[in-house]
Amino acid sequence: MRTKAYASIFRMNWKLELQYRGAVLGGIICQLVFGLILVSLYRALYAGRPQVMPIETVSTYVWLQQAFFRMVLSSDSDLAGKIRTGDIAYDLVRPLSLYGYYYARILAQKSMGSLLRAVPMLVFALCLPRGWGIMAPVSPAAFACFLLGLMIGLCCVSALENITMGITMRTLDPKGIQAMLNLLMMILSGNVLPLTLYPDAWQKVITALPYAQLLDAPIRLYTGTRQVAEAPGALLLQAAWTVVLTGVGIALWKSNQRRLVIQGG
Amino acid sequence: MNYIEVENLCKSFTVRRKREKGHLFREKTTVQALDHVSFSVRQGELVGYIGPNGAGKSTTVKILSGILTPSSGSVHVGGRVPWTDRKAHAQHIGVVFGQRSQLWWDVPILDSYLLLRDIYRLEENAWKTRLDELTEKLKLGELLRTPLRQLSLGQRMRAELCGSLLHRPELLFLDEPTIGLDAVSKLSLRDFLREENRDHRTTILLTTHDMEDVAALCSRVMVLGHGKLLFDGGLTDLLSRYDRERVIEVSYERETVLSGLPNRCTVTQTGSRYRVVYDPENVSTAWLLEYLQGAGSIRELTAQGQNIDQLIAQMYREMDL
Repeated sequence: MRTKAYASIFRMNWKLELQYRGAVLGGIICQLVFGLILVSLYRALYAGRPQVMPIETVSTYVWLQQAFFRMVLSSDSDLAGKIRTGDIAYDLVRPLSLYGYYYARILAQKSMGSLLRAVPMLVFALCLPRGWGIMAPVSPAAFACFLLGLMIGLCCVSALENITMGITMRTLDPKGIQAMLNLLMMILSGNVLPLTLYPDAWQKVITALPYAQLLDAPIRLYTGTRQVAEAPGALLLQAAWTVVLTGVGIALWKSNQRRLVIQGG
Repeated sequence: MNYIEVENLCKSFTVRRKREKGHLFREKTTVQALDHVSFSVRQGELVGYIGPNGAGKSTTVKILSGILTPSSGSVHVGGRVPWTDRKAHAQHIGVVFGQRSQLWWDVPILDSYLLLRDIYRLEENAWKTRLDELTEKLKLGELLRTPLRQLSLGQRMRAELCGSLLHRPELLFLDEPTIGLDAVSKLSLRDFLREENRDHRTTILLTTHDMEDVAALCSRVMVLGHGKLLFDGGLTDLLSRYDRERVIEVSYERETVLSGLPNRCTVTQTGSRYRVVYDPENVSTAWLLEYLQGAGSIRELTAQGQNIDQLIAQMYREMDL
């Protein structure tokens, strides 16, 4: 293993992510508007017919989803371009695993990218009145579990994105497959509608799926929808999916690499 | 013991072509990019690998660097099979593509070199010594903190070379390294490559369309066409096969009619200026000069050999490429 090499790639991409300040600002404004619209929408719905889930929890859920929005959508247009032109093959001249190289890179983009957006957004959401903004975590222990869950979620989503990229390498058309998978991810990760608002029977299925491991699982720990006592189970499920998805991704990339033919070479 | 050993290397690609109207599926055709190519290169050799576009040069380089798996044939580079042993192989080779950057675009080049240090697992001291040596030779000292995207093409090529040599590769692939460079940059790049080859016995395989590069650097050339190896030997041998014609350019004080020149000479006229192409084997130079002098009062006369690009073009034509 070349752990040091992958760590360096991660660091380099962290630094790179810091350079795109314009994109960060744009993202923050966009996600702030979305957050406000969604919260207003749920408040309007609640005004007519209050639900089991308190509005404070729902608004907290919405804000955390919006703050870490950068995590969910596939974001590496550079890599997509490299796959389309076939330039990705040139990365094989390095003594590295292609999967590891891009995993480190995507993980760096997603973690630094969401961190840069999340901090100002959460500060903003904290200033909003109760029922509009974000609540404090239910307990320090819950917060710790949330942070741990968030980190596993980051690994999980990076593994997912590498699978998307692996499929893209076969179809050579990033747009179609990415659009479909992004839609699936938006819905099943709870970004459009909090998963906590789905009927209980649905929730049983949806929360077991990989998409719920990205943000839904840690957010439930933060809001107390899931107790700290249940945390080990939830974190274990996240970790299990991460391992499975990483395994699938590595296998997919390996088989892709075997049939890799450079376009226009 | 040969460093590179290539035997009966074949690579075919499947190309899907759109058929005419009325067919649902695209037509599949197979293109033979490399057709039983065999050669060997000794450690420390500097070999030019030439051929027209689409001849299969890049395919060869990709196979030798482990990026591409061949359809059949065997390849050994330093005892390794590049594509089965890719990571170990990558540790020992360097690659520079004139048209593609191997460094990271948005960061200072020093950051790229630091990352390469970790990627190739170089020891700090060894890395530093080598970096100092290369930055001095390639005059990169002041540019280390500049992002790659802000460098000029010449500076960028020097930066790429430095990046590809930090891990002291045994074998360096250069794919059109001088493309787009000005005369000064080209000359200094060639000097650098010659020194690198001499001082470190780095084996260099140079793919190029710039015959001046080949003439300046390579004692040996391989010519590839339609996936086949057509020539392997010294550049002078290659050229002497095709270097038959001579050109005399002559301009007269007044417009003059040149008649009576044998058909074997090709004459083109612009005003009072003539260009005569002939083969000294067929037409005597002494006779020709005498004839030209007799035709009128000469203002200026130049004689020259063929330019190397013309020779290569002629060679490609004769080889039916």
